[in-house]
Amino acid sequence: MLRFILRRLASGVVLIVVISTIAFALLYVGSGDIARRILGQTATADTVAQKAASLGLNRPLYTQYLDWLSHAVTGNLGTSWFTGQPVMAAITSRVAVTLSLVIGATLISAIVAVILGVWAARRRSWPDRLVQVISVLGFAIPGFLIALGLVLVFAINLHWFKPTGFVQFATSPGGWLASITLPVIALAIGGIAGVTQQIRGSVIDALRQDYVRTLRSRGLSANRVIYKHVLRNAGGPALAVLAVQFVGLLGGAVIVEQIFAIPGLGQVAVTATTQGDVPLVMGLVVVTAIIVVVVNLLIDLLQAFLNPKVRLS
Amino acid sequence: MAAVAVVVALGLTGCAAGNSDTSSTGGSGGTLNLGQIITVSTFAAAQSNWANESPYMQAVYDTILTADTTGAIQPGLATAWKYNADNTVLTLTIRSDVKFTDGTALDASAVAQNLVRFRDGAGPNASYLANMTDAVATNATTVTMTLKAPDPAMLTYLSQNAGLVEAPSAFTSPDIQTVPVGSGPYILDTADTVVGTSYVFTKNPSYWNPTNQHYDKIVMSVFSDPTALLNAVKGGQVNATNTLNNTDLAQMTGAGFTANPLELNWAGLTLMDRDGTVDPALKDVRVRQAINYAFDTASMLKTIENGLGTTTTQVFPANSVGYDPSLDSEYTFDVAKAKSLMAAAGYANGVTIQMPSSALLGQATLTLIQQQLADIGITVEYTDPGNSFIADVVGGKFPVVYIPLQQGGDWELIQFLISPTAPFNPLHTTDPTVEGYIATIQKGGSDSDQAVKNLNKYLVDNAWFAPWYRTQSNFVTDANTTAVVQPGNAVPYLWNIKPKS
Repeated sequence: MLRFILRRLASGVVLIVVISTIAFALLYVGSGDIARRILGQTATADTVAQKAASLGLNRPLYTQYLDWLSHAVTGNLGTSWFTGQPVMAAITSRVAVTLSLVIGATLISAIVAVILGVWAARRRSWPDRLVQVISVLGFAIPGFLIALGLVLVFAINLHWFKPTGFVQFATSPGGWLASITLPVIALAIGGIAGVTQQIRGSVIDALRQDYVRTLRSRGLSANRVIYKHVLRNAGGPALAVLAVQFVGLLGGAVIVEQIFAIPGLGQVAVTATTQGDVPLVMGLVVVTAIIVVVVNLLIDLLQAFLNPKVRLS
Repeated sequence: MAAVAVVVALGLTGCAAGNSDTSSTGGSGGTLNLGQIITVSTFAAAQSNWANESPYMQAVYDTILTADTTGAIQPGLATAWKYNADNTVLTLTIRSDVKFTDGTALDASAVAQNLVRFRDGAGPNASYLANMTDAVATNATTVTMTLKAPDPAMLTYLSQNAGLVEAPSAFTSPDIQTVPVGSGPYILDTADTVVGTSYVFTKNPSYWNPTNQHYDKIVMSVFSDPTALLNAVKGGQVNATNTLNNTDLAQMTGAGFTANPLELNWAGLTLMDRDGTVDPALKDVRVRQAINYAFDTASMLKTIENGLGTTTTQVFPANSVGYDPSLDSEYTFDVAKAKSLMAAAGYANGVTIQMPSSALLGQATLTLIQQQLADIGITVEYTDPGNSFIADVVGGKFPVVYIPLQQGGDWELIQFLISPTAPFNPLHTTDPTVEGYIATIQKGGSDSDQAVKNLNKYLVDNAWFAPWYRTQSNFVTDANTTAVVQPGNAVPYLWNIKPKS
């Protein structure tokens, strides 16, 4: 198991280096005259040249990359070119915000999907069709439309929530919960649709297995069979879908954070990419890649815990 | 996309030719929730921006001079200022009762150091002080600025970012970009601030000018997304904000907000290649005039800006001494006239011109330009320089560009658009007439105003530009807040945003 974890972590490191190299190259291909973009239209050519030199932009690209990489491995991701804030500080102040949205949405997706999926698989007939319809709708309606609808109804008209902004948990746990409720629901709806279908299918398959008949014949209650045995077998594929959903939600958070003006990684990613803030974008790429690698590793470990066959393989 | 959003997105400076009126005197206290459409790029005074970033800077810093809501220069940290006979030495008398928030005294030496740092700081507006040979403190309350040549805009620059005064103790601070140390009416609360998203300022208890402190606390929240901004307005989360477009204005006023309009920029074509360096056709004034006749500016204003703005043929704003209303009818929409001018110039069979395009400028506008110029025989071929848009334009790669541009004070506008060294005169076109007017304006004195008038008329007659209209932008305030727009700036000055009495 330890060797498996180390192997996965090593491949994760390689993946992060490769992704950061590609991202660095792409950023420079499309970034144009960065010093001019930082200074704007009124700056003179001399000032622009001075700025470019001060940022080291007149050095060869590979030198700039190696310079960035040598600092990055020591945890120094540099300073934003557009706000002057250290990149590490910019990311650490925001990563918890985005993770609270994405983890919240993932948890809600999982809980609601299990309830709906099991209900549809056990009842079939109209509950099954209803769940199918809900799933298709959840897939079909874009996340930003759901977000806008939620704001309109629950914030603007009913005043139950604030339409924009974020409250730190440390400031007010209640305020924090209120500030993430609508964004989390907006993010979760798409996820619920995908995972529900997966759980429904897996549970239907599992219910046809011989061991279920055996368990029932031994007098176990239907709920115990479902929630202790069937779900354990059906959980593997659902977890894989959840992992994909989690990574997808990191992307979905970009739009939701913009609509709700939430200071997360997604919001800053939009701004930094538009501006060509290379140090900040590189930092975001690395942190996002680390999150994805860690989540996938955790999912693998969880699957191994749920299904001994995975451990043996 | 509205012009203001284009301005922000392309990194342009939005400046306004606003109207002026008297501000009501409000109460004080409480919190001002101020919406911002742009984050602050840096709190380091020497590299600072202005325009949409001015509220951030005015919260924490004082400026050497200030400007009132008519644009007239008023005292700031300097209680008096005086030029010598040929306007090359400016003597400033600095207040002696001001302290920075770190407790150190603000004196003439601090002011002089800030001026030199701004000039040498490679900031976006460092060129404002490029004309300054030196700034020295001759005693604790006197600063002497020496200029290479007269600069009619210098006093205005000193009321903006070139006049910001930062504590010398902060010059060597590693946090200089994010933790300001100034003498302003508010102090940045770094603990509650989320850089790039929301900035919290608390009242400076020992501020020397309490009449400019209308609130106990100011929270500036950044809304780069129009939907988020509209929702914040509807949800009552901001008391006042600049707007990202005019599309949502009706919904904002419907939510009980008051629109404070200002004409921010002019939209139209800058015909940069007046010597025919890149495209020989542009050298002929008749071709440039034909381009002016080609546009149905009234319809364009209606289509692109929902009618919010004023058609014009002039790049000088309505509050300029050079502005002449009669010039606005110089070029009416007249395709036949345009075609005959093209034929007279030898282009009866048409001509092709290269222009830069950007998705940020709005595809509809770019298509309208193409269609209307095609009607007079000019084929527009667009190239999208991507993120190099500004660099390529000010690098002189294109003969003509469509971009909304600022309308500041007369001398600033000349330095920005017209002089041979202006960034938006990248092909350095000039002629003795223009040079003569600019020299007269620079010297100041009784001939200056007439020279601005003459210069403006000359530019219109010789079609240096093809302006369509001045675009209107709106700063909105809720029922409890008043604001007076600031001529020459994208947003009102901070002390002119007040609680309604």
